[in-house]
Amino acid sequence: MAKETLTEVITVAQGDEQQPSKPRSVLPWMAENGIFIFTALLILGAAVFVDGFASLVNITDVFHRAAPIGIVAVGMTFVVISGNYLDLSVVAQVATSAVIFLAVSNVYGVPIAMLAALLAAIAYALVNGIAVGYFKANAVIVTLSTTYIGIGVLRYFSGGSIFFGPEDGPIRAFGTAKLGPVPYSALVLILVTLILAFVLSRTNFGFLVRSFGVNESATRLGGVNTGYVIVGAFFVTALAAMVAGWVLAAFSNTAVSSMSTGYDFQALAAIIVGGTSVFGGKGSVLRTLLGVVFVSVLTNILVLSNITFGYQQVALGILIVVAVTIDALSRKVGTR
Amino acid sequence: MSQTQSLKLGSSDTSFLGRARLVVARRTEGRGVALLAIILVVVSLTQPLVFTAYPVSLGRIALIGLVALGLTAVILMGELDLSVASTLAVSGVVMALIPDVWLGILAALAMGLVIGVINAFFVAVVGINSFIATLGMLFALRGLAYILSDETPVRLTDTDAGIAFGQALIGPLTPRVLIFVLAFLALQIFVSRVKAGREFFAVGGNRQAAYDAGIPVKRRIFTGFMISGFVASLAGVINTLERTAADPRAGLTVLLASFAAAIIGGNYLKGGRGSIVGTLIGATALGVLQVALTLSGIQVPVQEIFIGLILLLAVTTDPASLRAVLGSIRSVRQGRSKSRA
Repeated sequence: MAKETLTEVITVAQGDEQQPSKPRSVLPWMAENGIFIFTALLILGAAVFVDGFASLVNITDVFHRAAPIGIVAVGMTFVVISGNYLDLSVVAQVATSAVIFLAVSNVYGVPIAMLAALLAAIAYALVNGIAVGYFKANAVIVTLSTTYIGIGVLRYFSGGSIFFGPEDGPIRAFGTAKLGPVPYSALVLILVTLILAFVLSRTNFGFLVRSFGVNESATRLGGVNTGYVIVGAFFVTALAAMVAGWVLAAFSNTAVSSMSTGYDFQALAAIIVGGTSVFGGKGSVLRTLLGVVFVSVLTNILVLSNITFGYQQVALGILIVVAVTIDALSRKVGTR
Repeated sequence: MSQTQSLKLGSSDTSFLGRARLVVARRTEGRGVALLAIILVVVSLTQPLVFTAYPVSLGRIALIGLVALGLTAVILMGELDLSVASTLAVSGVVMALIPDVWLGILAALAMGLVIGVINAFFVAVVGINSFIATLGMLFALRGLAYILSDETPVRLTDTDAGIAFGQALIGPLTPRVLIFVLAFLALQIFVSRVKAGREFFAVGGNRQAAYDAGIPVKRRIFTGFMISGFVASLAGVINTLERTAADPRAGLTVLLASFAAAIIGGNYLKGGRGSIVGTLIGATALGVLQVALTLSGIQVPVQEIFIGLILLLAVTTDPASLRAVLGSIRSVRQGRSKSRA
């Protein structure tokens, strides 16, 4: 394992060095900058060819649907960059946060509801982070099990019922408020992105997350408590998923345990398409935001064209595999 | 001092207990046996119906175990196949869509092999991590199952074949259990007696060393993923025959249980260590647990909590994990004593 990460570092380093001298190799360039062109082309093509895409109602709808997925994705970027593949349990985390938020706020008010959702997020972060960071367990399996545990607990306590928010009040007001065509939830997404981009690129913790992704053993030999860094990365993801749950609950004014199905997958697609490497170490929060735009617009086009759920899943699955393939092949080209 | 120690070791090696200790130390199934023992004791005290209704329990064990067997082949090489549940669903739908039963079975099994080849291509040739590649396949294949079935369960054309398949064949054993036993024996012989199967351990233990020793690593990865794809589609065929219908949502509950069975059975996720027998022990433990929970009238969400907890326990109580935790506790203590001094 240690040797593998070491070769990864060498690959990354060589890839960066050789890129200016080798402008003709298409794959690394595409892995680096392709997303800008593809996103622009996709939006342009959709505006021209897809009926009803360029309407104000639809654009607001895209923002509404992109906001919670986007908030999850920018948070999960930390786990991906730290070299731990992904956090599947965001599905359970978003649903837990949304259900707790609405159920508690109906009785005790919004601040206590936020506090209760925070407690749940802390529990998720601690279980995932300690199992992955200190027990060195596989992140995919750990978060798969916490997904089932979390959804199971939620369904047991909620009885599978749907929670409704009050017809008027601060939550409803926030969920429906807009600034021009942009709903407040999208503004939250931008705010979260800016904060997390600052944390990842400018703080000591962000530096440790990135260096852990590049080379785990070197980071540990450098005297860093690596377990604490991983717990931190899962904390960022859990807090983002919590905020996404609030936003989702406020927008739909209902909460049920199955409301965030597929968020893990769409968030991962956004992160990978944005150019963050699943091999760890490489990537940025702002790129993930771009990936979110791409995935949301793509999903919106598929929905507007009356393409069924099955085809949407196939399209997103292929998108992930293609994006990872380009990333993997560009690394091979870089070492040649 | 050292001489007496080595003498003691030497003498204990030849005694029966010493040899037994050596055998136990070499085996990887310890945690699986412990879990199975606990579950059997608790279940026999609280829900003895599980043992009197043993055909039900055996069917459950066979369902979990079959998928877990295929997973084991991949895990031994340090890879993972997350797409097994979707493979199960899609091959079941393919089989139900074809009017002729035998042709349907053949098409479904071929589908499983093709899925295995695609997975292995991305892992061995392109070089994508198997967690991510098979995760993409997990969603793509689930979507394909929805497309092919129009999002509703597909009825089997030849329902008589399905009903005949559900009947007990030898004693109380249904064909499902017999197929599971055959698959278990075949894989056990393959992994422990056939050269290609023995090489799985080498590929998982140290891939570079295996490559240097002349083992065709890429071909072994293809073999492994084809086994797991084939076995998953076999489970899909069995499911469709027994229920005389193919559900595109099938396999969601099996996924978690089969992972838990393979991992608690002592198959190390980074590869190189593990056994087919361990997977059988793990599948038995989880099958008995599931049937006991169902018979006790415990709701599905709570059952999922139980199995999720076992999976979490399985993946964190691996010897390497425990060593990592002990190491970090020790380093924290040392750091404290240093800062005090």
